[in-house]
Amino acid sequence: MDVSTIEQILIVATVITYLVSGSIYIWFLISRSDKAVRLATMLLYLALLTHTVALGLRWADSGHAPMANLYESLSLFGWGIVFFFLIAQRFYPVQAAGAVVVPTAFLVTSVGYVFYTGPEPLAPALQSYWLWVHVTIAMLSYGLFALSFGAGFFYIVQEYLLKKHYKNVMYTFVLLLSTLGLVLGLWAGSKLANPAKVMDPVTRLTSNVYAASDYIKIIGGGVVGLLIGMVLGYFAGKGGSKPGFAKRLPSLDVLDEVSYRGIAFGFPLLTIGIITGAIWADQAWGRWWGWDPKETWSLITWLFYGGYLHTRLTMGWRGRHSAILAVIGLIMVLITYLGVNLFLSGLHSYAAPGG
Amino acid sequence: MSPEAITESELSSEKAAVITENTGSDKSFFGKSASDFVILLITAVTMLVLDIVLSISYYRSSSAPDLRWLLALVDIVTVLCIFGTFGGRVKHMLLSMKLALTLLFVILILAIVGTILPQGENVANSTWVSNPLYGFYNHIGLFDMYNSRWFLAILYLLGFNISFCIIDRLPTSFRRALKPRIEVKDIFIRKCPAAAAFEGAGEQGVAQAKDIIKSHHYHLRTAESGSVLAEKGRWSGLASIAFHLSFLLIGLGAILSTTLGFDQRLDIPDGKAAPVPNTELRVLNHGFNMETVPVKDGDRITGYRPSLYSSDLELTQNGDSLARKTITVNDPLRYSSSNWLLTLITSTKVNFHQSSYYQSPSGGYVSVLQVTYTPGKSLIYVGFGLMMIGICSIYFPHRRIWFKADENGELILGGRSNRSRVSFQGEFDRIEAELRLTLGKQEAG
Repeated sequence: MDVSTIEQILIVATVITYLVSGSIYIWFLISRSDKAVRLATMLLYLALLTHTVALGLRWADSGHAPMANLYESLSLFGWGIVFFFLIAQRFYPVQAAGAVVVPTAFLVTSVGYVFYTGPEPLAPALQSYWLWVHVTIAMLSYGLFALSFGAGFFYIVQEYLLKKHYKNVMYTFVLLLSTLGLVLGLWAGSKLANPAKVMDPVTRLTSNVYAASDYIKIIGGGVVGLLIGMVLGYFAGKGGSKPGFAKRLPSLDVLDEVSYRGIAFGFPLLTIGIITGAIWADQAWGRWWGWDPKETWSLITWLFYGGYLHTRLTMGWRGRHSAILAVIGLIMVLITYLGVNLFLSGLHSYAAPGG
Repeated sequence: MSPEAITESELSSEKAAVITENTGSDKSFFGKSASDFVILLITAVTMLVLDIVLSISYYRSSSAPDLRWLLALVDIVTVLCIFGTFGGRVKHMLLSMKLALTLLFVILILAIVGTILPQGENVANSTWVSNPLYGFYNHIGLFDMYNSRWFLAILYLLGFNISFCIIDRLPTSFRRALKPRIEVKDIFIRKCPAAAAFEGAGEQGVAQAKDIIKSHHYHLRTAESGSVLAEKGRWSGLASIAFHLSFLLIGLGAILSTTLGFDQRLDIPDGKAAPVPNTELRVLNHGFNMETVPVKDGDRITGYRPSLYSSDLELTQNGDSLARKTITVNDPLRYSSSNWLLTLITSTKVNFHQSSYYQSPSGGYVSVLQVTYTPGKSLIYVGFGLMMIGICSIYFPHRRIWFKADENGELILGGRSNRSRVSFQGEFDRIEAELRLTLGKQEAG
């Protein structure tokens, strides 16, 4: 058995353990059993250990830090989520957040595994110490924006709960999960329709290479994803729209503050991320900005969060409005991080890396 | 200075703009006198005609140099003249944050459109080419969005907006950071957004307030009259200006680099030499080198891909060798004149980047170089630095609390924050509560 096989077995084991641990965390939210949370934490430590070994093997096998393609980057991101959550849980009573954080880590790591590619040496353009500086900073900022999104989302939910608008709680969950389902479904459908990796989906759409049957596959994928998302959203909403759920969520003030802090620390990191990227691009290609989709989308994200900070700090927006912006912000982040690589930049020089 | 004047000068410029705009609206011709209106109208029409004439002559001549930046500038001035004639005051528009946020939003939308539509050479592979309106779309710059004249125009307008805001705020920010007003009138303290008063607390109360406010990490200064200013985040206003100034520097650097500099592709076959465009230099490719690694599908090798490639370059001028280096993708050859100070100021460096390579039909490799000269680079890097320093202003809002005992022995406190006013109100409320508790205890004891 070679190293990459062992690595894959470990990653699959990690993903399954995340799923089990995450389910127990959700169960904890309902039952409030201390035994459950102890078991979930123990499993999470175990999963972190196997994940660390898998990443370490990858590092040793490929000869560079695991951040050079989408699989490595997402796997590392999932690892980071769990690592920081376990640290936070040691010092703060944030066990309840595990019901969201651990399933997210599961989703990120398993989506990463879908993009699995064998270990490869770095492409010439990536052979620079800027790689890990740039990628680490960018990923930290994405993580903080995700935190801000989570707090913002639960702010909206909590507000509906306190106002006793239980139907809106349901709609919020359904909207979130069905959108996620729709996007994943459309993407899976487009993969089925035209598995050729030569062109990115948007170029393909504008180049008229699809046959009618391909469109059926894409739309079908979207519909299936949408339906699965709606069903999941219905159950999540049903669990979330009980009056008692409001007491298990943090107060509106705390959620608002956490959502703001995520952006207040994420924005400077994103700025450093963009600046290091610009310096690196100048070193590698002699130009510090080239309106490449990845660059452009990072600028879009940056402008968006810059706007958020202006509305908040100088115009005095708070609460619901800020929470909605924090939720929209993560859509921008996801497009920058994943959307550009999956949907847009098939022709660009750094389409493969996930940084 | 009267207390009203102080309060007015403390008002943010947007609010001041609203006030003047409202009072001026009863005059004829959109708040302008008839003669002003006629002069403005003539200017606006002249600018519009100039804009149209310049555009037509530019697009008609095929060999004109790239003057889109100039056209964009004329566009902006034209729009401002029209706004000045039929709208409110140009100054107020340029000073408003609403304009800044609107422009940011427009840039955001255009940037999104630009990543979805094929740009540059990618258009050739798309169905857009067969679209009957292709010529028109191409003409208005839909497929070269980021270099189109109107995208540049929006960037310039944002640049003007930011510059005017900086100029407007600079004196106040400097005064607040360097010469803060410690001595203020009672009415100013009472009119602050966060205010509190304690009857009969007197000088004793001022001493207590000093201790409590100091414990909240404020820096205190006392005037001779006994009035106190407590503040933190004193440099916040200037840091914020540094942040916005960084945009201008980066933008200026970009304009300098695109207008005065160059960025050109240079293909040199193995062992051959070529003149460097725009200079008197020649570059000689001593040898192109490539290392490959096998691409595996399972255990089967399906092909090879490069893991490293390099060119051994020598730079010459009139036969004299100036520099020699083996360049790789992340390690370019940077050649500068011997005057290091001049190099630092004007960034007069010619850079040779290893861009890619291809196999020539006659055999052997052709090394593809990217030769760049970016005179605005120093400005851009200073801009990056300022941006990083300025961004810290997010965490340290400038918070000020004035307090004193008035003639009737009443302790009055008034506080202001340049941003995050809600969380400042929270802190102020806590200070007030602590003070009430301490003063209450003293009364009881």
